[in-house]
Parts: sequence; structure tokens; C-alpha cells
Amino acid sequence: MTSNPPNVYLPDMATIQEVIQETPAIKTFRVTLNNADRMQAFSFEPGQVGQLSVIGVGESTFVINSPPTRKEYLQFSVMKVGELTSRLHTLKAGDQIGVRAPLGNAFPYDSMRGRDIVFVGGGIGMAPLRTLLLYMLDNRAEYGKITLLYGARSPHDMAFSYEVEEWLQRDDMHTVLTVDNGTPEWQHKVGLIPNILKEIGPSPENAVAVTCGPPIMIKFTVQALQELGFGDEQIVTTLEKRMKCGVGICGRCNIGSSYVCKDGPVYTLAQLKELPGEM
Amino acid sequence: MAHTQELRTLIARELPNLDLVLAWTGGFDPLSSTPLFITTEADLDRLAVGPMHVQNLAAYLPSLKGRKVGIVTRGCDSRTITELLQENLINRDEVVIFGIGCTGAVNIRKVRTAVNGAPVTDVEIGDDVLTVTTGEETHALRLQDVLMDKCYTCAGQAPRMHDHMVSERSGCLATGETPPSSLDLLEGMDARERFAFWEGHMDRCIRCYACRNACPLCVCKDSCVAQSRDPHWVDQSDTPREKLMFQAIHALHTAGRCTECGECERACPMGIPILAMKQALNRRIKHLFDYEAGMDQESTPPLFMFRQQEETIKERDAR
Amino acid sequence: MSTARFLKARDIAPWLEELGREYTVLAPTRHGDTVVFREFEPERGIELDRLSTTPAKKALLPPCETLFEYATTKTDTPPYRTSIELRPTLPEGKILLFGTRPCDARAMQIFDRVYDGEQVKDPYYTARRNAATIVTLACSGQAGTCFCDRVGGSPVDATGSDVLLTPLKAGYVAEALTEKGMELMRDTAFMKADGLRQEALNVRNRILEEVPERTSFLDMERNLLSLFGDLGFWDKTAESCLSCGACTYLCPTCYCFNITDEPHGDSGKRIRTWDNCMSSQFTLEGSGHNPRPTKAHRMRNRIGHKFSYYPQLHDKTLACVGCGRCISNCPVSFDIRNAVACAIQHAAANAQEHAHD
Repeated sequence: MTSNPPNVYLPDMATIQEVIQETPAIKTFRVTLNNADRMQAFSFEPGQVGQLSVIGVGESTFVINSPPTRKEYLQFSVMKVGELTSRLHTLKAGDQIGVRAPLGNAFPYDSMRGRDIVFVGGGIGMAPLRTLLLYMLDNRAEYGKITLLYGARSPHDMAFSYEVEEWLQRDDMHTVLTVDNGTPEWQHKVGLIPNILKEIGPSPENAVAVTCGPPIMIKFTVQALQELGFGDEQIVTTLEKRMKCGVGICGRCNIGSSYVCKDGPVYTLAQLKELPGEM
Repeated sequence: MAHTQELRTLIARELPNLDLVLAWTGGFDPLSSTPLFITTEADLDRLAVGPMHVQNLAAYLPSLKGRKVGIVTRGCDSRTITELLQENLINRDEVVIFGIGCTGAVNIRKVRTAVNGAPVTDVEIGDDVLTVTTGEETHALRLQDVLMDKCYTCAGQAPRMHDHMVSERSGCLATGETPPSSLDLLEGMDARERFAFWEGHMDRCIRCYACRNACPLCVCKDSCVAQSRDPHWVDQSDTPREKLMFQAIHALHTAGRCTECGECERACPMGIPILAMKQALNRRIKHLFDYEAGMDQESTPPLFMFRQQEETIKERDAR
Repeated sequence: MSTARFLKARDIAPWLEELGREYTVLAPTRHGDTVVFREFEPERGIELDRLSTTPAKKALLPPCETLFEYATTKTDTPPYRTSIELRPTLPEGKILLFGTRPCDARAMQIFDRVYDGEQVKDPYYTARRNAATIVTLACSGQAGTCFCDRVGGSPVDATGSDVLLTPLKAGYVAEALTEKGMELMRDTAFMKADGLRQEALNVRNRILEEVPERTSFLDMERNLLSLFGDLGFWDKTAESCLSCGACTYLCPTCYCFNITDEPHGDSGKRIRTWDNCMSSQFTLEGSGHNPRPTKAHRMRNRIGHKFSYYPQLHDKTLACVGCGRCISNCPVSFDIRNAVACAIQHAAANAQEHAHD
């Protein structure tokens, strides 16, 4: 008889340390696992996700958007859309949540070393890019030119504004912001992300583009990248699907034979083209 | 099968004006049938009509709204169409009704039970006998014993409305006395016995919701309380209590709308007599409002409106 | 097969009753007009004459299973912190599954690759699996909806079983296939009968001779993949489907589940329940986005999973055992055999067309 395997369905209980209201619809939660040893030993790679539980309500998947290089807490950003996220939004510092993490694969940050990186994020899709961006900024010398195009519906829908300011100031990265609808105070671009991307026109030469956002934005961003000459291997995206088990069993997040919770959420366009089109 | 040929001709004539026509064809064995979606004349070769072709095709109509659809219809199924029209779930000018004179619909489950679940190799319908062959054995079943519940209370073999009608027809297979229904059985029980009856049956419910999805009047579709978290009326635990809760909701939701087509019970893979719940509520609707669903397109279902004074309900004297 | 013993038909019920002290014994019994696997009780009897309506999968994957219970407590003095205690509820005790058919037993191995895989082990499943002994009854023949022979099995296939019973007059020849099976057959209900081994083999061979020659659904995983962009095909295939769960819940190989929290006041449980990929809610996201918005998408996924995705991932094994329950229990008699055959044909035609391009 073999010993019992670890219980993959049992969350670690965790305490919310801080809640940041990013936009009217997005809150960021900084959490620590209650078991100090588990927190100490916790390791993950940029792009991996976690299942957050409000016990008694349910579970949902969010990317760990703090970088692995910063270990004092795990950060998740949550847009209020359904039952679980609405309940999460009512929680305050000191409240208890369940965490099952890390799950899934990571951005291919090793193979990205030495190359130029183009980040294209839309709305809450900026969260997974943040992890990788911060990781790269913490290991700045290992990567080439970094370009960030971040778009939101309007200026007040822009999450991570406190960091965006800093990114705009940095001279070792190029940051472009855009909104669909501007305000008189807005000093950046106004326009849809794919159009602004074509306007910036990053070179595909030794570059990798990483994009995340709503399905429709990803679709047109990919088209724009292809027009700019990015090949299928040079386009990386991270997908969001409804997940339950998080370990490749329960069967709802699959695209063909690939389970987004286990084999994803990060895919190159080349990998996605092998699968049925079920975004 | 002269009437089948006549039906083919009628459909073929109308087909160029239609997106599709709903009919039946044979299934995996001589007792089974499956809906046929006719879009070309070649599909007509597969068309089959008879007492074993039992699905209520009107169940597909709401999801086909916006398309021009022909539908082969018996008397009972036309009540569903009427009800769907009353509720504005379909448009009359998008539906072309090919009426057939029904001779009765076989309760396939009763037949399978009568032959003890043995694989059926042949079925023949006589005047009042169904001859079922299972390998070496032949079973002669009295048709009167193996019809669907609704056949015994049939309000008319021909559809109440139609655009085309098959003229060829034969008599009704339902003759003589009506066998006792589940509802008759239940009405003879006290509350405790009734609860035990349902607890026993619900124990084997697999919660596939075939009853709901086959019901032509279950149109909440993707917002059904069976799975909703808000409101969270039904727990996902698989206890008879939770399963019965869903059935109660379904029955209440179709009270005064249900035409007792029997699709819920026919679709149930576990053979749970859930039609009885709807029949029970309909009896009360009949008693309280003197109303039967799907009989008159111009009327409004009683639970769709509010009257200060109901004609058939005697108010308590306030004095 | 090492030893052969004989089990008299009339000894089965008393033997199972006796075993009930040590095992949870699940066997096919009549329930209304159906036959279901449930806990054996002598008064319920046992029904071995036909394929059960429900598959045996509930022995390893119950329709509803508690993953953990939780209790919330609040401190009654400031700062009023809430603490939550989780208590996992792993299954315990031995299980005897009696009277499964070869298709149902074969299905258990299809679960194993997913629930007891190299990367992930499901602790609830593996606890049950390790504690379960499976006694399979070879089929005397195929029903009209059976097609085990087209998906890699047969009416006498022993895959996934611990003991295989072959029907003879007045009883069954039992042959152990595993250590667990051998252990079970030490029971006195089994009589020594090594001489009957050859006779059992002859019976099985006769049954196999009755299996018709027909096209196989094996090795089609790549061909089918080429059809997945053709949504029109899937639209046509799925047109009569009602999107209910009769096929998935009665399928011995469908293993998808849902996880929900069911609170009762301050405490409650997180449960997992069978789920149904044919329902639109299965993949509906909180935002309202649905990657499989129509029944065509869902049909493509169901057939794709069984005949293409799973075999791609697991050594070409199909995730279908050909029991035919999805056909015989479908409210609209949807026939998956026709759908798959049609898909294979269509994919071949598409490939030929491309070859001419």
C-alpha cells in the first residue's frame, strides 16, 4: 500500500493582509498563508495561477500577480463579475480565504532571456503581465528592450496606477497607455489596443510579445502582431477559463486535449493553432 | 403506409419555403425513434410516422424561433404549439403545421418492461395487439395496456390547428377501460405514504435534467434554479429531498401551462413517474380556474394574470 | 488466469450478505423498471440478466462526494476575527463491486489514467480504488446498442477486473486476475474447479464468435482532429440533442465533475458532484463569456474527448467502452455510433478534398 497522496483539493487557509481598490471593479488582495512553514516554502513561477476560495461560496482561478522575486505576500487582483468575485470584494484585511496554489504552467521566461519583450495588456489582463514584467525588471540585465502597451476602457479603469506612474518614469522600459474613452485630464493615447500597437510598431526582430485581456482584444491583438511580422512562436498569451479542480481532471477548461489549468494557462500562438478554436 | 407517403408529398411541396421540417425517423431498434430534421428532399426517404414515433417535436420550436419551420404534429402536440403561441414563445407565421391523425402513441418503457429489457428485434402493430420479438421469443401485448398516459385522456387525434393535413387516417388504438395511472395510485395514499413513494423513486434520480430539457415549456434554459447559486434554492447534494425539490419547482412552474404531453416522464432514463406531479397540479387548476392548457390560443393561462374576482373561486364571505 | 473456481448461482446472495460485514457490497439490483448499482441487501435481490441502467462508476466516483467539511467560528471579543477550520473527509473501508460487465470494468482503467496519474493523484479516488475489488460477469452476448468490440473491448474482456465470472449452467466459473481477486476467491463460497477452466474458455470463445465483424473506432484521433474546425458538421450532428445529461451521467467513462460549496449556517461542506459537459453552464464564465456556447461546440467536445483528445493523451485508448447506455437512454435516441462513423467518413472526405487542393 502506498501512502496517501497530498490532498490536491484542500486549500491552505490564508489571511488577507491588505486590500487595494485598484478601480471601481478591481480589487487587489495581498495574502499570506496561515501556516508559516508553508508560506516560507512557497515557490512559484511567473504566470502560474491559484484557486481562491471564499469558504461556503466557492472557488475561482486568479493569476498570482506578485513576482516570485518578492516573497512577503501573494498578490491576486480580482475583477467583480460573478458570485465568488462579488463576495471576495466584500472581504477586508484580516479575513480568511482559501488558497490552492501554484497551479498551471508559467511564462517561458527562460527562453525569453536576451530578447526584446513586448507586453500588451487589456483591463484585468494586465495582472498576469505584471508578474512577468516585475520579474524581468528585477532581473533587468537579462532581457532586451521592454515595451509595455496597457489599455483600459477609461482612465479610472486602469489598475496598478501607482506602479504605472513608476513604469512611465523608468528609462529602461517604454510604457504606452491607452483608453477607449478619454477624459479632459488624460494625457496618453486614446484608441483601441490593436490600433495603438500598430502605431507603436515594435520590431519582431529577436522579440517576444506577451498579451492578455478579454477574448476579443486578444483576437485582434494577435492579428495586429501578425501584421507587424511576429511569428506564431513569438506570440505568447495566457488564457482564462472556468476551472474547478485546477489539476486537469474535472474536464471543463480543456481546449481539445490541452487542459488550461494544468497544461496552460500560458500558450504560444503556435500551440493554440494545434487545438480546436474554443477560446 | 399511405399516410406516410401523403405526408412526404405535402412536405416536399412546402420544403422550398422552409428552413427545415421537424419529423421522425426510426431509431436504434424497432421500438425507438428519433427526431428527423428535414432540409432536403433526400431526407424525406427516412421519414417515418407511427405509434412508435413519440417525441413531442414542438419542444424544438422555441429554440428555432426566427427560422421558418415546418412541424409534423399530432393532436396532443398541437396543444403544446398553442401554449407556446399563448406565451409568445413562437410566432405563428414562422411555423407551418403538417397535421396527422394520431392512432395513439406507445409507451416504449412499458413495452421494454413487459419484455424484461430483452433486445427487441421486431415489432408489429395489429388492430389491438403489439407483437414484439426478442430473439427467439415473441410477446403479444395488448395495445390498450401499453399506450402513453395521455392517450387515455386524448382530446382529439388531429391537431387543433394545421396548415396541411394528411387525409388518410385510421382508428384509435386506445379502446376500452383506462389502466390506473400513477396519479390515481398517489391520490389513494395519505401524505406520509406519498412522501415515501417519492423518496423511493427520487433515490434513483441521476439529476440529468432530461425531464426539464425535454419539456417544451421549460424555457428558462440556462438560468434554471436547479443550478443557480443566486437564488440557491437547490443544493447539489444528491439526496431525494433536493431532487424532489427540483421536481416540485418544475411542476409549479408548469402549473396551468403543462399540456401533459408526457415528455418529462418519457425522457427520464430512470423511469420516474414525474408526470403525475404535473397532472396533480393541472387537476387543481381545472378545479380552481376551469382551465386546461393549450386548448385556446386566445385565452390567457390563469397564472399569467391577476383578477380581483376569480369566476370559479368562491371568496370567503367577509361579513 | 491462475485458479478457476465455481460459484453456484444460488450461493451468490448469501455470500454477498456475508461479505457485507467486511465490505460495502455494490451490486446491480432492480429499482422500479430500471437496474441500478447500489448497496446489496438480500431483500432487494440481484439482477444479473441484463446490463444495468446505471454504470458501476459510482463505486469509485460517487455522484456526490464531500471533499471537506468546514466550520466557521468568530471570536466574541474585539477585533472579532473569524477562523475557519477545514476537515477533509477521505473515504474509508473496503468495497466489493459485484456483477459489473466487462465494459464497466474496463472503464475503471480509463479513470485510473486520469485520477491516479503520474502527475496528479486524486486522494478520494485512489482511496476507493485501492480498497475496491471488482468481480465482473462476462456477457453472454451483445445487445443491439452494444459496441464494445468497436472500441477495443469485447463481451468477455477482463480488463480492469479482479475476478472474471463466466456463466455456465447453474453458476459461474470464477477466475482471479489480480492478487485482490485471488484473496477474494479464498472464500468458501467458491468451490475448487480447475477442471472447468477449459470449459469457461470454450464458452467465452463461443461468445466471441457471435461478435459481428464491423468497423472499429480505434486510431481515429488524428483524423477526427481535422474535422474540429468544421462547426457546420457538428451543428448538424447535434441538432436533435436536448443538452440534458442522460448520456454523460449514464456513461461509465464520463468523469467530469463540479465542485460547489453548500453552506448550512456557519458550517457546511465542499462537495463534488457529477457534471455534464452537454450543459451550456458547464463552461459558462462569470463574465458571461462561454467558450462552448452552442450544443454543436459541446457535442464536438464530448465526441472529441472520447475518440480523439483522450486517446491522444493516453496511448490511443478510447474513452468509450461501447456499453451503449447513451444510445438506449437518450430521450431522442441519439446514436453516438452513427455520429462517430459519420465524423470519420467526413474527416476522410475533407482530407481527400485538401489533397486535391
